[in-house]
Amino acid sequence: MKLGIDIGGTFTDLVLLDEHSGQMAFGKTLTTYPDPLEGILNGVAQITQERGVPLADITTVVHGTTLVTNAVIERKGARTALLTTRGFEDVLEIGREMRYDIYDLFLSMPKPLVPRPWRIGIRERVDKTGRVLQPIDLAEVEAAADRLVQRGVQSIAVCFLHAFANPEHERAAGELLRRKYPHLAVSLSSEVLPEIREYERTSATAMNAYVQPLTQDYLRRFKQALAKRGFQGQILIMNSAGRLTTLEGAQRFPVQLLESGPAGGTMASVFFQKQLASAGVELPQLLAFDMGGTTAKASMVRHGQPEITHHFEAARERRFKKGSGLPVRIPVIDMIEIGAGGGSIARLNALGLLTVGPDSAASQPGPACYGRGGQLPTVTDADLVLGFLNEHYFLGGTMPLRRDLAERAIEKHLARPLGISVAEAAWGIHRIVNENMANAARVHILEKGLDPRPFSMLAFGGAGPVHAFAVARLLGLSRLVVPSGAGVLSALGFLVSPIATEVVFSHVIPLDRIDWPALNERLADMERQGRRFLQEAGLEAGAIEVRRVAEARYAGQGHEITVVLPAGKLSEASLPEISRNFEQEYTLRYGRVLPHMPLEFVTWRVVVSGPAPQWQLHQQVRGHLSTQPLKGKRPVFWGKEWLDTPVLDRYAMPSGERFRGPCIVEEYESTTVVGPQAVVWRDHFGNLIVEISEES
Amino acid sequence: MTNSKVGCFRAMTATIPNTDASLPHAFNAIDLSILWSRLISIVDEAGTTLQRTAFSSVTRESADFAVVLMDTRGQSLAQSSVSVPSFLGVLPFLVKALLRDYFPPQQWQPGDVVITNDPWLCAGHKPDIGIVSPIFYGKTNDGRPRLIGFIGCIAHSPDIGGTLWGANARDFYEEGLYLPPMKLFEAGQRNETLFRLIETNVRAPQQTLGDILAQVAANDQGIRSLLRLMEEYGLTEIDTLGAHIIAASEKAMRDAIRQAPDGTYCAEYEADGDGLNRPVLLKCALTIRGDEIWVDYTGTSAAHPLAINAVLNYVFAYTAYPIKCVFSPEVPNNEGSFRPIHVWAPEGSLLNAQKPAPLGARNVTGNLLYAPVMLALSQAVPDRVQADCGAAVWVMVLSGRHDDGREFVEYLFLAGGYGGRKGLPGEPTLCYPTNVANVPVEVFENDAPVLVLEKKLLPHSGGAGQYPGGAGQRFAYRNIGQHAIHISNVTEKLRHQAYGLFGGKPGRRGRLYILTPEGRRRFTPPKGHDTLLPGETLVMELPGGGGYGPPTSRRRLSSSTSKKAHA
Repeated sequence: MKLGIDIGGTFTDLVLLDEHSGQMAFGKTLTTYPDPLEGILNGVAQITQERGVPLADITTVVHGTTLVTNAVIERKGARTALLTTRGFEDVLEIGREMRYDIYDLFLSMPKPLVPRPWRIGIRERVDKTGRVLQPIDLAEVEAAADRLVQRGVQSIAVCFLHAFANPEHERAAGELLRRKYPHLAVSLSSEVLPEIREYERTSATAMNAYVQPLTQDYLRRFKQALAKRGFQGQILIMNSAGRLTTLEGAQRFPVQLLESGPAGGTMASVFFQKQLASAGVELPQLLAFDMGGTTAKASMVRHGQPEITHHFEAARERRFKKGSGLPVRIPVIDMIEIGAGGGSIARLNALGLLTVGPDSAASQPGPACYGRGGQLPTVTDADLVLGFLNEHYFLGGTMPLRRDLAERAIEKHLARPLGISVAEAAWGIHRIVNENMANAARVHILEKGLDPRPFSMLAFGGAGPVHAFAVARLLGLSRLVVPSGAGVLSALGFLVSPIATEVVFSHVIPLDRIDWPALNERLADMERQGRRFLQEAGLEAGAIEVRRVAEARYAGQGHEITVVLPAGKLSEASLPEISRNFEQEYTLRYGRVLPHMPLEFVTWRVVVSGPAPQWQLHQQVRGHLSTQPLKGKRPVFWGKEWLDTPVLDRYAMPSGERFRGPCIVEEYESTTVVGPQAVVWRDHFGNLIVEISEES
Repeated sequence: MTNSKVGCFRAMTATIPNTDASLPHAFNAIDLSILWSRLISIVDEAGTTLQRTAFSSVTRESADFAVVLMDTRGQSLAQSSVSVPSFLGVLPFLVKALLRDYFPPQQWQPGDVVITNDPWLCAGHKPDIGIVSPIFYGKTNDGRPRLIGFIGCIAHSPDIGGTLWGANARDFYEEGLYLPPMKLFEAGQRNETLFRLIETNVRAPQQTLGDILAQVAANDQGIRSLLRLMEEYGLTEIDTLGAHIIAASEKAMRDAIRQAPDGTYCAEYEADGDGLNRPVLLKCALTIRGDEIWVDYTGTSAAHPLAINAVLNYVFAYTAYPIKCVFSPEVPNNEGSFRPIHVWAPEGSLLNAQKPAPLGARNVTGNLLYAPVMLALSQAVPDRVQADCGAAVWVMVLSGRHDDGREFVEYLFLAGGYGGRKGLPGEPTLCYPTNVANVPVEVFENDAPVLVLEKKLLPHSGGAGQYPGGAGQRFAYRNIGQHAIHISNVTEKLRHQAYGLFGGKPGRRGRLYILTPEGRRRFTPPKGHDTLLPGETLVMELPGGGGYGPPTSRRRLSSSTSKKAHA
């Protein structure tokens, strides 16, 4: 038995899985503040009691948490200091010297996590090749540490120039700090992110140091609490790249956990892609679409692999503005996030145009129809007015919605000023939020040099299935899947992710000057390092997979692209294949190659991973067993007119039977909207599959 | 064309009726919102591709490019969102000139692409290359393809021949290859003569031509996306949609200006000029009357012997930019947002340079225009302006050879302190109005035979104030190779300080010098070329920003640290 636990802003989700039978049980409990552990333990007690499974029978707990993200956003991390090469104390504050909004005179840049008095320069210098120009003065390190500890510093980050080329100075400083102050948390840039570009490396290292004490404390308590209740198995932690790490790994590099929740959703999509393929539904290119109360997220899964990027920012000054956050070049699932959710507010802007978001009424006060004092019309209000949502069956009827309040908000703020009907205004909100999401998804796919149309969509999140049909149509997609368990998909994703680690090395070198024996040795060493980590996590050597990539560019360019390296020992003879891989990727992205330009390699990565857990999803049934799939009919506004539209009960739909749209499929956590001339059916795993024809 | 036509170009464009009443009511607030976002999305997609494939580091790192979609008359409907200010209003100006003086509407065919780098038509100096493609959709009544609009982009080329980019060309002709408006492709056919001419006149032909072709491809991509949109929505033309977009933006801009008190607000601003003995004076009279703004630069210095002269359309862009930041930062860029703004500078002055004045480093001057404009606006809307910034940006171009013989060229960009604003201190090390990312120290040391000794904020370099100016920085690097490095400096505010506002103090001046291996300081020109010998160190101290409001008696707020993070 395995247990997945995902802490979100509002709810803590749990999934209990019996890998042998494929049976799953879901649990949802309120996230508790300030200590989320309380909520977790409530949830665990509830689900284990309900299912009659003692904690001792559970072999693995996989956990993902927003703890790290929140600590950075709310600036609640440790009192952190930073040691740098002397003369470069302010790298963290100078940043990349770029404004994230060129028209806003009143912008603020994110403040560094380490204030000036705690950033201390140390006499030492290594050059770009790793040669020591000035040996480190450890007496200075010691004096600095004494001073900092005296002032109450709890964690120290060390980032020296070119430490990725030669980590000796950082290691010497680290050893001294750890020896003299064993209770101090120490983060070295050559361990956290051994990559070229000092600002980005310092930023990640400082953030790691900033969140390390509280992460260590939390995970320690997490482990103790479970152990006290009889748990004896292994604890694994989800990271931002959809990979699992050990408790020790998470405590050493907590910065890797920043985006664990969203990564779970994408990894669940990877799982469903395989499941569906085993049932003969091939969806080689999948767009995972997650729409909640505040934001919508989209990521790509191609041929069983999520897209990974190393461009990530935490704690943005403005949530949806690139460049306004603190950069962390860790591997993360490549995901766009836009301000489009059920709570997104619709209004008329200064130009007299209807706009939706990015600000959200969130859950407090929430959409007008929640009746909690929200006055402004939102996406959920529009969905209710249009007939997509059922005021008596929201969250399975546990939360009645107020249609009159939704209508009044739309009437007052939009319909009357525009001189149109409430339904037309609501339809406008629905269309615009869908356009916003489709535009963002289209750009995201185009940026990778891909065509959106062959993609299928996998929709989840509370509002995802309500809007997926329309967004899929705008993108020209022909297939949409609403998986079972959509309400706890991240926690489910935790249970299907592989244990994996990524080892990084930066070394800027023109392709024709590579020292092949040295490179092979380095790559082998990186692989050994990764294998050791996985074996310590209990994996057998035979089950381990290795993938090696390099980031390369035409000499002179500023952006690199990722190139897959051939397996085995590399040599002069590998050049044609490496160049070919580069050109293939370059053509895919930019539509051309530059035949005579020399290639330059910048960063090398070795990803060592275990197998993704294999198990078959069991058909599952929830609660009530009605035999009638058709619950009734209700009027739904489809843009031009109201149509009396069939409403189906997802749990009662016989698998394989096709239902013609327009129709609405209701279930506990969400509602799937199926437009005219589409067909929906339920497969034997419980997934809803919507086929959209061209003319719908 | 003659340059005198440029003189009052804003007046020439203001011929379209401004009222909603004249528009066909074909679009409601919802359709308009959707179609408008799509047009912006289309030019952004094209821009993203251009930026990612460009070789020119300026195009890539500082978004020194723009893609603009225009109607059949060359009026801008949508401009890519990330571009730098230098291109505001430039492409529509170019297309209107093309239609009027070079290629009237009947001379365009599907597959045509026009190229030019004429500074008076484009962005004020030759490295900025404009590429314009017509868009055809459906047929006219007589069965010919119907011209429905234009898409164009401007990007900074890696090289255009002539003397290396900098402020030292003596005239226009030394500044490289001049390309008057010509068809680079005619009905889809490459103009081989023109390609050959460009190829043989620039230093890095493959990169330069590669970037030009990337611009053509960006236009093509924009056209494809637009045609898809037209099919999806059943549009047959975009002029009507454009008229709605332009009218809505124009109204928003006018509404914003109308709120400011009428009057003429004057400002004088002296800047370094060559940094030695020829400063420049920028004088501006900014008049707000009703819902329009006139900016008159009469009284400004005459054209300068250094290549820092600006042409009027470039001056318009850098004047309109701070005005837009102050009055309507959220309104998308198009024809309408700039109609209420009028800019004038006397012919032959620094700000309305005529042939053969050299223009290469006109950015030095363009980047200063916000300062007198902001100073004038501070009298009208004191809460919405910003004190002077330490440096638009210092640019340093290094070129030479590594010890192993490989050649290198490296562009460095460095920012000074940002000006204080009401309620907010100036940020350290941010540029305005330019916006360019720095080169990481570790990357710089890999690209060139240098060792960086220091990159550090300069404490107390920002002007004191209730909201103090941001700190500048000190940056020093040593030539550790065996060969001399050729450097081209473009600095500012070595002699003048960034002004404070409303009692805020000015920021600290910048410094620039070379340290010899013996530890002696030697002169290097503030704007000009020099040689950094092996063992020598170049030291730059970037100026601080000005403060806003009088310093309080409280302990000085430091903009360079934040204790709040740990409060």
